[in-house]
This record gives sequence, structure tokens and C-alpha cells, in this order.
Amino acid sequence: MANMIMASSKALITASSFPTASTTKPRLQLSQLSHPKIKISEHQHRQIVSLSSSLKSTAAIAAAFFAVAPPSFAAEIEKAALFDFNLTLPAIMAEFLLLMFALDKIYFTPLGKFMDERDAAIKEKLNSVKDTSGEVKQLEEQAAAIMKAARAEISAALNQMKKETTFEVEQKLAEGRKKVEAELAEALANLEKQKEETIKSLDSQIAALSDEIVKKVLPI
Amino acid sequence: MNVLPCSINTLKGLYDISGVEVGQHFYWQIGGFQVHAQVLITSWVVIAILLGSATIAVRNPQTIPTAGQNFFEYVLEFIRDLSKTQIGEEYGPWVPFIGTMFLFIFVSNWSGALLPWKIIELPHGELAAPTNDINTTVALALPTSVAYFYAGLSKKGLGYFAKYIQPTPILLPINILEDFTKPLSLSFRLFGNILADELVVVVLVSLVPSVVPIPVMFLGLFTSGIQALIFATLAAAYIGESMEGHH
Repeated sequence: MANMIMASSKALITASSFPTASTTKPRLQLSQLSHPKIKISEHQHRQIVSLSSSLKSTAAIAAAFFAVAPPSFAAEIEKAALFDFNLTLPAIMAEFLLLMFALDKIYFTPLGKFMDERDAAIKEKLNSVKDTSGEVKQLEEQAAAIMKAARAEISAALNQMKKETTFEVEQKLAEGRKKVEAELAEALANLEKQKEETIKSLDSQIAALSDEIVKKVLPI
Repeated sequence: MNVLPCSINTLKGLYDISGVEVGQHFYWQIGGFQVHAQVLITSWVVIAILLGSATIAVRNPQTIPTAGQNFFEYVLEFIRDLSKTQIGEEYGPWVPFIGTMFLFIFVSNWSGALLPWKIIELPHGELAAPTNDINTTVALALPTSVAYFYAGLSKKGLGYFAKYIQPTPILLPINILEDFTKPLSLSFRLFGNILADELVVVVLVSLVPSVVPIPVMFLGLFTSGIQALIFATLAAAYIGESMEGHH
């Protein structure tokens, strides 16, 4: 911006005293600087003449100063090209498209795929963790069923064994009882016999005894 | 009268120090055409930065990312989120376009502000952000226009042109005008912001060097980042608007 201001002012001064034949660029053609065209009174005319003469000297000094500078100064002053459309536009467009494809192949697609796969793997792991808790419940139920079946088996076997042993026990008891009864009967029979014998012996003894008693009692 | 030559000397001295070179370009001739070489050079540097850093950071991706990979993943997520918000569910194919737009403009703007371009002296003109040239910004805005046309036409076919008489046919001239103002505003917004920021910083540096321009430089970093975001968001918004479902 400052350059443009400087350029315009320089063009002003050089145009009035340093016409350049080398450049074809348009130059500011103000030349009223040294020749103000105003209708004025004598006094003011004199003032203005003195003013214009001082201005002329200023211009002369400035022109002289810049005349000393090499002509390249004048050639450097160009119009500020802000809206300068040229081949740069399609060049940048082509560069952008190439960059887009290159970046897609190097960065967006590979990293994107990697990130998506990682996300999917993590989601799967989370889901699988939730599923095993259901499996665990199933296994627990199976275990409970097995335990119940085993217990039923055991109790059935136990009952069976109980029945058999009681049966045996009763059998043995019955046998023992029979034996005991037999012996009892024998012993009773023995006793009876002994009683009989004793009674018999007693009978004979009683007879003898009674004879004696009679003998003793009855006087001779 | 001795005052005048003195002041002219100081004027010339000031002019030499405050070398504000606005609108001065470094021209190359290619075929019958001219190019602004300073824009091409800086754009090559920006492209090299983008491709180089992406290549280095993204090779051997780890499940638990390294710092560089993490940063690039963050950027990609940011771009995806931006595209998804503006375009909707079918945002996938547009991520490279919006992403490249955002990254190119962002890195261009920040390279113009942060990299010491003045070290490299050009014969004419100077190196600066490539986005301070109207050619660059228009070159970015025109593909955006083409993109949203392509999006609308590919999704709706010729029914896309029904949107010109939505919601009422009275708005037809305005809707047609929009097709011209959209790329115009995109390009000029970016161009004006970046060029003006550069100018302000350069003028301040030439007038009051040392510490005073620094807050303006920070402001410039902030606004240039925002401008990149705005450009990309608007591009995505136009695409999304073209692809909008039937009401």
C-alpha cells in the first residue's frame, strides 16, 4: 500500500521532468502542480507567484534528486497487481487435486481403515464379554442339574441298600429266635423229665418214708 | 528551504526500510502464459510438508498409537466429524476432499505466518502464504462449486434443479445468484483475510518493530486457522445442502 502511494507520488514528479521512453506503462499526467490556473487579485497573485516559485523550486530539487537516481527506479514502479489472474489458477487447481489423491492414498484411507478396524475389534471384545456371562449361567444350571441327578442316584442306592440289610437282619433274627425257642423247648422238656423223675423218686421215697413213719408211730 | 531536501532524504530512507511489496509478483513464463512463481514455490513447500509428515506419521500403525499417529488420528477424526455434521450419513466419500481443503488452507496460512520466508530473497516480490493470492483462493473455490454440483447431480439426477424453485419460484433469481456468490464469497473471504493480516503485520513491523506486532501475529494465527475451518465447513455445508433428502 505504501509502495502504491510512493509509486504514485514518484510518478507525479518524474512525469513532469523525466519523461521515460522505455516503459509503456501509463503515467499520471498531472502537470498543474507548477501552474495553478486560478483568477486572483494582484496581492494574492504575487503571493501565489511566490508560492508557485517555491513549489517550482521544490519540484526542481526533487526532480534533480530523483534524476540523479538510476533510471531503473522508474522502471521498478509498476502497478500493484492484486487481481492478476493467470496460469497460476489452473496450476494451483491441478496441484490441489493431485494433493487430494495423494493424501487420500497415503493418509485418509489407510489410517481411516485402521481406525475403523480397531473400533470394530474393541466393540466385538466388549460384546463377547457380555456374552460369556450368559454362558456362565448356562454352565451353572447344568452343574445344578448334574448335582440333583447325582443326589437322586445316591439316595436311591442308599434306600436299596437299606432294604437289603434290614431284610438280612430280619432273617438272621428269625433264625436266632428259632434256635432259642428250640433250646428253650429242650430245656423245658428236660425240666419236665427231671420233674417226673424227681416226683417218681420222691414217690418211692415217700412210700418208704411213710412206712417208717408208720413203724415209728404205731407201737409195736 | 534547507528543510525540504532533508525531508526528501528521510522519505527515501523510510521507503527503503518499509519494503512493503504488495501486489508485486515474481513472474515466470510458461508457454505463452505467466505464473506467480512465489505462489507456486510456497505451495510446493506446503504440499511437501503435508505429504512428508503424513507419510512419516502413518507408517506402521499401532493399536496403541504413538504421538504422531495419535495427532494424525485426531486430525482425521476432526475432519470426519466436520464432514458428518454437515453432510450427514453419506459423508464417507467426501472426507478426502474436505480434509485436503482444510489441511491445505490451514498449513498454507500458518506457513505464511510462521515460516521465515523473508530469508529467501526473490528477484522481485517476496514469498508468503500461497493463499494471499487471488489465484489460489479462486482455485480452491471453483472445485468446491463443482463438488457441490456433482454431489447434487449424482444423488438426485436432473431433479437437482428442482431446488432452484424451492421454497417458492419467486426466489429463482436469488437461487441462481447464489451459485455465483458462493464461490465468490469463499475465495474473497479467504483472500482478504490472509492478505490483510499479512499487510497489517508487515506495516506494523516496518513502523514499530520489536514487541508490538506480536499480538497481531497471534491474532493472525488464530484467524487464519479459523478461516481454514470456515472454508472447509462451508464447502461441506454446500455439499450437504445439495445432497439433502426430499422434503
